[in-house]
Amino acid sequence: MSVAQVKRIAISDSPWPWLLPLIALLIVFTVYPFFYNVWLSVHEFMPRTRSLKFVGVDNWVQLWNDARFWGSLGVTFAYFAVALVIELALGMAIALLLDAELPGFGALRAVLSMTLVIPPAIAGMMFLLLQDPQFGVVTYLLNWLGLLDKSTPILATSSTALAGVLLAEIWQWTPFMVLIFLAGLRSLPAEPFEAAMIDGASSFQMFRRLTLPMMSRVIAVAVLLRGIDLFRVFDYVFTMTSGGPGTTTYTLSYYAWQQTFSFLKWGYGATLSLTSLIIVMVLAEVFIRLAKVRW
Amino acid sequence: MRDSDRKLYLASLTDRLVKGQMGRRDFLRLAGKLGLGAGALGMGMHRGPFNFVPSAAAQEALQPSADILKWVADAGKPFAGTTLKLATESTPPSNALNSQLKKYFEEASGIKVEIEVLPLEQVLQKLTLDVASSLGTYDLYYIDQSWAASFSQDVFDPREQLQKTDLAMPNYNIDDFLPALVDGIAMYDGRMVGVPYDIPIFIMIYRKDIYDELGLKAPATMAELASNSKAIMDAKGPAMAGIAGQMKSGHYSLECEWTSMLWGHGGSIFNPDKKFVGNDEAGLEAMAYWTELKKSMPAGVDGWTWDGQGQAVAQGVAASMLSWGEFFPYFDDPSQTKISGLCEVAVPPAATSLRTKDQTAFGETPGVGHQGGSTLAVSKYSKSPDAAWVFMQWATCADTQSLITALGGGTGPTRTSVYDDPRVKANARVGAGTTRHLPVVRETIAKHMGSEPDLPEWAQISSDTIPVSLGKYFAGGYGSAKEAMDDIATQVDTILKG
Repeated sequence: MSVAQVKRIAISDSPWPWLLPLIALLIVFTVYPFFYNVWLSVHEFMPRTRSLKFVGVDNWVQLWNDARFWGSLGVTFAYFAVALVIELALGMAIALLLDAELPGFGALRAVLSMTLVIPPAIAGMMFLLLQDPQFGVVTYLLNWLGLLDKSTPILATSSTALAGVLLAEIWQWTPFMVLIFLAGLRSLPAEPFEAAMIDGASSFQMFRRLTLPMMSRVIAVAVLLRGIDLFRVFDYVFTMTSGGPGTTTYTLSYYAWQQTFSFLKWGYGATLSLTSLIIVMVLAEVFIRLAKVRW
Repeated sequence: MRDSDRKLYLASLTDRLVKGQMGRRDFLRLAGKLGLGAGALGMGMHRGPFNFVPSAAAQEALQPSADILKWVADAGKPFAGTTLKLATESTPPSNALNSQLKKYFEEASGIKVEIEVLPLEQVLQKLTLDVASSLGTYDLYYIDQSWAASFSQDVFDPREQLQKTDLAMPNYNIDDFLPALVDGIAMYDGRMVGVPYDIPIFIMIYRKDIYDELGLKAPATMAELASNSKAIMDAKGPAMAGIAGQMKSGHYSLECEWTSMLWGHGGSIFNPDKKFVGNDEAGLEAMAYWTELKKSMPAGVDGWTWDGQGQAVAQGVAASMLSWGEFFPYFDDPSQTKISGLCEVAVPPAATSLRTKDQTAFGETPGVGHQGGSTLAVSKYSKSPDAAWVFMQWATCADTQSLITALGGGTGPTRTSVYDDPRVKANARVGAGTTRHLPVVRETIAKHMGSEPDLPEWAQISSDTIPVSLGKYFAGGYGSAKEAMDDIATQVDTILKG
């Protein structure tokens, strides 16, 4: 291709020269892996013969009859719901508190964003230590407050393990909600609030009648982004509990990883990850329609 | 005086000594007042009360044999410029090879060796992908004993490789490997799946000072192990527990501890009909014993793998453990722990009764000394199998194994002659890299070793089915031990049926 031809393409109105690199990346890193995953889900790796064997819908039948899958799906939904509600409520509350120009608040907002740059696996290790039964600060505080018996290890007790994992999740990702909500709050027009104040509306009334409705789209986007992420939780479970005790904290992603990489059941692992993808897509689509999210 | 001031003052004294402005005696007197021992002045004194081998001297003595290096140079010459790859778990032998010894091989042979040190499960993934693709990315395979069945057809049998006389190392002596290890780790279906490479094995490690204080003796039986642990818990708990465990739900370590308890009570994982029998009378007796023993363990034990267990003893949270012997040199290292010199070792407590290999299946060998060894083998898919074979012989010959043991922190040798090597025996003193526990390791391998069954499904059964259900049991997820073990039996049967 001559220099003149390259120049002509570069100054032409056609979007394709600029889209092609992106399309190529999407094909390599998204489209191909997706179709490969679909292909893999109807095959299974045979360790004895070192080959992939076509198994048809066997993996999907196995999924339907797999108690561990249903258990992990339940844990994932519980994790998803609890984390989302708490992060949403806490995020909004903190955002409302920080939505003021008081001395030090700028620094506070900067500090909040620091949790987001910590890799989740590191955050998981931090909370593993914080909840250590021997020297963990969280354990000590709960013992001191009388909320936890000294002989109850948080992450190794069925009734508390998921809460222990959620603690790391909420600590790390509530600031994400705060930052999104703060950006939304900062962009709200002042006039409706001034009018409401002149009319004698209380703070709660202003929040319920003005802030929430005007913030609804921001909230919807935050819920959507965080919800998708929550459904894929893996790092905290991997570092803190390995799915235990028993199967108490087995999430769908952790189960798919284990089947794929620990037991080399590549076909079944692909089936599990595809199932996860389908569930997330359906939930997201329903939510987008219900919340009328517009991009 | 601050350290920097002391150094400045010492520098000025040295300057005056060199310029002849001060006599040698005055220099030593003033240096002594400065609080500097002769050792600090480079006069070759040992570093501490237990470090009888000066480190410089030790390093000088720990050089590969010239004869061996000459053989490496001769045998490796045709392959100079080749690059070999090995994926291995982070074990003392691999770390010693990687960081301190492979340079000698590379210099002598001109063959480059790349050692990837990875978590065990990632090693398995890499090997499986390599085998499935037949690409030969890795020339040498580090094979955990539980994978021997899976990879037995993918590696060369070293006995066959030794037939190539032009590449055979003189005096390699394959019969020098401990017979119990060859049988327990390396053999599958008549094939030798590499040579024994390392041998972590359960031994009894206990705090001698605490045992002496309470008038206890090293436990000779499982009952004594329980009573000793309880006595310590009663006297010192909860600050110091009687014994530490490795009981993290869903982790392989939990299965390792279970087998030790099971075998120690006359049970076995399988019967000759290849049925899971961990739920029989002996199995339930083991569970009852273990549940009771757990009361003498620290509160956090449910979250610990072997790492947490080792840390518990190292930090004085627990007074003993029935676990991997390779922890012992770490406990003895004064720069790492405060319990250096306080621990002693003993062979594992005797089992109440012991099933024979004939009463089990898949090569399972009951014994309280659970072993977790590995082999090293040349991949059949390697593009440079001869160069890899030269490296493998060098890495597993008696001379290199002795160096690995001495430099690698007292890891358990797999060759008989290494236990008797003067360089290894010289380290049998309290301190870093001690080998004073090795006689107990050797006796445990010979008389008390327990080996897991060899079957392709074992990776899933040992790393998921059993430890997940045991974790659930200890978290109160089952009504009884019988219910838990019956559930495991059902799951194992389903897996074996495919």
